[in-house]
Amino acid sequence: METETKTKKSALNRIVYKILNEYLVVVGIILFAVFTMIMEPNFMTVSNMGNLMRQFGPLAFVSLGMTFIILAGYIDLSIAGMFSLVSAVSISQANQYGAGRAILVGLLIGLAAGLINSLLLLLFGVQNSAGALFITYGMSLIYGALALMYSNGATIHLKDGVSGLEALGKGAVGIVPISFILFLALLALLFFLQSKTYIGRSVSYTGGNPVASRLSGIPVKRVTLLIFSLCGLMTAVGAIVLFSRVTSSGPTEGTGYDTNSIMAVVIGGTSLKGGKGNVLRTVVGVAVVTLMSNCLNLLGVSSYMQDFTKGIIMILAIWLDNRSGMMGGAAVED
Amino acid sequence: MESVSRDIMLSIEDVSKSFPGVKALDSVSITINKGEVHGIVGENGAGKSTLMKILSGVYKKDAGTIVFDGQTIEKTTPSESLKLGLSIIYQEFSLINSLSVGENIYLGRYKEAGGLSGSRQKAEALLKSIGSHINPRSIVDDLSAAEKQMVEITKALSLNAKVIIMDEPSSSLATEELKNLFTIIRNLKEKGVTIIYISHKLDEIFELCDRVSVMRDGHVISTRPIAEVTRNDMIREMVGRPIENEYPPKPQCVGGKMLEIRHIRTRKLQDISFDLNSGEILGFVGLVGAGRTEIVRAIFGADKAMDLEMYLDGKKLVIHNPIDARNAGFGLIPEDRKTQGLVLPFSVEENIIMASLYKFAKMGFLKSGQQKKVARHFIDTLHIKTPSSKTKTSTLSGGNQQKCILGRWLELSPRVLIMDEPTRGIDVGAKYEIYTLMKQIVEQGSSIILISSEMPEVLNMSNRVLTICDGRITGEFDPALVTASEIMEKALD
Repeated sequence: METETKTKKSALNRIVYKILNEYLVVVGIILFAVFTMIMEPNFMTVSNMGNLMRQFGPLAFVSLGMTFIILAGYIDLSIAGMFSLVSAVSISQANQYGAGRAILVGLLIGLAAGLINSLLLLLFGVQNSAGALFITYGMSLIYGALALMYSNGATIHLKDGVSGLEALGKGAVGIVPISFILFLALLALLFFLQSKTYIGRSVSYTGGNPVASRLSGIPVKRVTLLIFSLCGLMTAVGAIVLFSRVTSSGPTEGTGYDTNSIMAVVIGGTSLKGGKGNVLRTVVGVAVVTLMSNCLNLLGVSSYMQDFTKGIIMILAIWLDNRSGMMGGAAVED
Repeated sequence: MESVSRDIMLSIEDVSKSFPGVKALDSVSITINKGEVHGIVGENGAGKSTLMKILSGVYKKDAGTIVFDGQTIEKTTPSESLKLGLSIIYQEFSLINSLSVGENIYLGRYKEAGGLSGSRQKAEALLKSIGSHINPRSIVDDLSAAEKQMVEITKALSLNAKVIIMDEPSSSLATEELKNLFTIIRNLKEKGVTIIYISHKLDEIFELCDRVSVMRDGHVISTRPIAEVTRNDMIREMVGRPIENEYPPKPQCVGGKMLEIRHIRTRKLQDISFDLNSGEILGFVGLVGAGRTEIVRAIFGADKAMDLEMYLDGKKLVIHNPIDARNAGFGLIPEDRKTQGLVLPFSVEENIIMASLYKFAKMGFLKSGQQKKVARHFIDTLHIKTPSSKTKTSTLSGGNQQKCILGRWLELSPRVLIMDEPTRGIDVGAKYEIYTLMKQIVEQGSSIILISSEMPEVLNMSNRVLTICDGRITGEFDPALVTASEIMEKALD
């Protein structure tokens, strides 16, 4: 009897420990939200809830794509430039030719940009996140510059009632925004891709150990092509949803989506070391990041201070990620 | 043995250590005498590494006392234990590859060693004192595994180590290099340094050690002078049951010609050609770095060859990458289990189904259920000791890890299975199981290419042996008709 209660107790301890270890940041931010709720009556208003759901949108799409990249052990910093480029070109297409063409062209640009990223990585034989980091950062500068050239550095506005894209950005079924429904549909699709298809499972294997994966016949090159194309596509979806809502696109619209999406993925618990994690975790991560920005805004924290806070949270999340890896290794007896 | 003084260098009393769910050490006591070479043997998971990590300060003990050179040690950190004079040389070296030998030896101590040039001179003197001619200016990355080990030993000496622990020091050494290591260890002993030598290889223990402790399941089973132990005693104590033979009877089922390899040329290999018969185990012998691994990697499509022709059953075969190799009926158990074989943070099941997963996909969509069945099948038939199919492979012992990789390929029933150092770092019992499996594989008509640095393994398991030296095939032998030294001569050609 005594040993039984002992094991039960230690099991409970382990669960508490695991939650603290893996979700410390998540728990912390939820506590922060509760604090905001008490201090700031505006938090629990209908308009703020709508805000939250809409802010959730673009970052969520981008982060879903980023999840696959990080899962495979890579990183993609080209998102900021890619996002701006898709946004600028697609919004002009909407003004000229309407919604269909705008969406098609936007998605194609995202897909093409992602493909170019992956082809470059394959060409240079890059197999780790450090190599991917610099190449995709270079590509981000190029995509960003193209966006600036295309828009002549000016903000482009979506003409009222021409394309009908506003429905995507602002429309709702009951109280649920259409963009949110689109998000749920894509989430289900990507969850299925990750867990129930061969190529999806290959993504995790590649992130877990690229060398062993290659030697076991896992199609590691196809994985690289898939994840960067997918990330490009999801970035395009995020960009289109955003300008459809705010009805304009600045020349550097994508700024911050790279780091914010990485932060969301890591806070969600997908490991930067690759192999471990999934898209559902990322949803938690996005929710938490969005919630945090919202609370900081409501509490009137300056934007400098907000960046400062984000930096600390990002470092904390990565520290936890490394720590959990070490914990897993401690009990290994050779 | 006369030189062993009765003074006690290190005494470990009733030391225990638990990890969540495992009692790794249960009241372990060993005394190590000054100036002796003390062997510690035991299967994987017996607790050897845990004990060493407690000594070096990596882990904290739960209970017990440790007295080092008359001084009771309560808590230490790795750097404190180094200062006390206890150095440990791990299987995976802890050198910085991009720095020079001299810089590595005096890492973090340049000032006390008299600057960079001073440390270089001191390093050279120390290297010479153990009979090594490594240039202290060489970059560590350019050194062989044996040379890196010398550097580690020199580093320990530079710290005035009184006790040097060597964890499986021979696992990456060829025969010649091993002899060299033994000479150095005997030298150190004469200088009064105490050595704790951990190994799976009983031959080495008998050749080298003054006393030996056998560990099993977190206990010390015995500590005795080597002269009072027989090989069979030791094996019985290690595995807890008697083992009759170290090798199963050699398979005799060689059939007709199956695979022809012609003219492999890479930067390292010069025109390698050979045949492989069905039902044959073909052994490759050669020093580490002679090109053994390069040959099989080229065949498997893991490395690009400038030139390579292959015929399977007389039909020309083109292999560009491991996926082609898999589809053509090849399987590869790579040299390094942990970095090239397993996805360590993944489960036993995920690791087993890794190579055959594509078979379970229809139009890219996976059917569930079958994967579990396959994993279960191999956990049962290969006797993989694991709490469940969901257990991470990083927590398994070496032998069980290797069986996961074997199962991975067996599911595809490969016609040619390439096994590169399949039993490295694996304990006696698991080795026997792997040999038995190899026998079963060839008896079903498949063939095996076996690369191994352990000569007895190659001689006992292979039907035919090729010696490789400097990227060339230098000889072909029937192992039944030659001695190990004749083969070694050709391998050093």
